[in-house]
Amino acid sequence: MISVRRVTKEYPNGVVALQNVDLEIGKGEFVFLVGPSGAGKTTLLRLLFREEVPTSGSVMVNGHDVGRMRPRQIPYLRRQIGVVFQDFRLLPQRNVHENIAFALRVIEAHPREIKRRVSQVLELVGLSDRGHALPAQLSGGEQQRVALARAMVGRPVMLLADEPTGNLDPHNAEDMMRIMLEINRLGTTVVMATHAAHLVDRARQRVVAMEGGMIHRDELAASYHVEVNR
Amino acid sequence: MRLRTWAFCLNEANQNLLRNPVLAIASVTTTAISLLVLGVFLLLTVNVNAIATSVESQVAVRAFFAKNVPQSQETAELQTVRSWSQVRTATLVTKAQALAELKKEFGDQAKVLDSLGTANPLEDSLSVTAQKPQDVKVLATRLSHLDGVVHTTYQSAVVSRLFALINDIRVVGLAIGVLLLIGSLLVITNAIRLGMAARRREIAIMRLVGATESLVHWPFILEGLILGGIGAIVASGLAYWSYVAAYHNAVRSLPFLPLVAPSPVARDIALLLLVLGILLGAVGFRISVRRLARV
Ligand SMILES: Nc1ncnc2c1ncn2[C@@H]1O[C@H](COP(=O)(O)OP(=O)(O)OP(=O)(O)O)[C@@H](O)[C@H]1O
Ligand SMILES: [Mg+2]
Repeated sequence: MISVRRVTKEYPNGVVALQNVDLEIGKGEFVFLVGPSGAGKTTLLRLLFREEVPTSGSVMVNGHDVGRMRPRQIPYLRRQIGVVFQDFRLLPQRNVHENIAFALRVIEAHPREIKRRVSQVLELVGLSDRGHALPAQLSGGEQQRVALARAMVGRPVMLLADEPTGNLDPHNAEDMMRIMLEINRLGTTVVMATHAAHLVDRARQRVVAMEGGMIHRDELAASYHVEVNR
Repeated sequence: MRLRTWAFCLNEANQNLLRNPVLAIASVTTTAISLLVLGVFLLLTVNVNAIATSVESQVAVRAFFAKNVPQSQETAELQTVRSWSQVRTATLVTKAQALAELKKEFGDQAKVLDSLGTANPLEDSLSVTAQKPQDVKVLATRLSHLDGVVHTTYQSAVVSRLFALINDIRVVGLAIGVLLLIGSLLVITNAIRLGMAARRREIAIMRLVGATESLVHWPFILEGLILGGIGAIVASGLAYWSYVAAYHNAVRSLPFLPLVAPSPVARDIALLLLVLGILLGAVGFRISVRRLARV
């Protein structure tokens, strides 16, 4: 599903955010990306949906050579990837239903299909009764669930989440985590960058730990910190 | 793109316009004014051109005979001149007729001519008008080579001054029109750019969920076309109908003015303004599109 080979990313200002990174993620996996601030987690995610291109090395996603694909093909890559950010990035003038439908309208889906799928994802994130609310009328947790619904409404094969619980209180964070694990259980590959140690520890999924642009730990069914007496 | 996608883009464009109605109105107004000025100058040029052409073709070349040329030779030469292809009309003006005309022109002051008594200092002449204004010079030369003709005259100075004036009007009108067009282009570009800035979040999300670049662009292209197009419709409508009205008034009150009928000309100019307005919108988008790549 994801194959990152010897990837180095140097930003134009000279900062080297990733150094010789190798990472393989299979279909249907759930992966936590952890590490201190500045480790390169966000940069790695951005390479996966072609928000950035690697300086060297190759990034393969679902069979596409993401680093070398032509700009015209980028939209079709992104239709296979759902993305959620720490700041929910909803459109303030549109209600919940419209925010989610927007993602399908701009890829020219059929209106009947849009209606059907929007109510499905609203149910998935537990917001079926809030379709007409504006983002400002929702709690942070609810807004993030709308963002998650928007990411999933196109039925992507992969969900990328960059600190999705970063702005949420513990209760909402757990809700969000539960829904993401459910999404993964239904077959979507999930990669989640996070600082939330307790969520990582509770979920017991694969953990990829980074520091200084390099991966120094990659364990299955692991926790946030290295376990000494396992 | 599908029909519903066009509807989506059009709706987005409309919302941009409604978000900033003052700027939208400013764009439409400046476009309409600049196109209208251009249209008025074009119509003016076309008409002054027509007037000048008719004046020039009506200019008579006069060929004066020497005093001793017999009347029979003069009439013979009149027939020759009439057979030339450049000639529209040719008449023989005897010195008696010339004096009568002169008296008529002097009108109330005709008395000054009384001092001449029965003497007539004038000469017989041929008065010739050309088929085409550019033939006038050739005619003058040919006439001067006729037997018995001592000199020829025509009003070349007046005509060339008229043409110089037309040229000035055209240059000034075009310069003003182009300056105004640049101004309205800047206003349209500014409106489109503000729309892009206001929709930054939306564009970012569109790209994130896999909208094609053309779908990102079209709302702004449509915005430009709407702004330029409405301005152009107003300008070409105004130019067309006011010219038709002005023409019919002028035909009634100034029938001797050889104005250009509105039927092909005003319609063509109205179409030209329409095309220019739409072009303004398209160019306005073209200028702003680089900003879209960076949002
Ligand atoms: N657009 C950019 N231009 C230049 N440098 C950048 C850019 N984005 C990130 N960096 C730098 O690259 C390094 C890695 O940043 P990145 O955002 O990937 O870290 P992170 O692991 O996501 O950190 P955090 O946990 O704080 O989100 C940092 O040193 C950062 O300053
Ligand atoms: Mg980050």
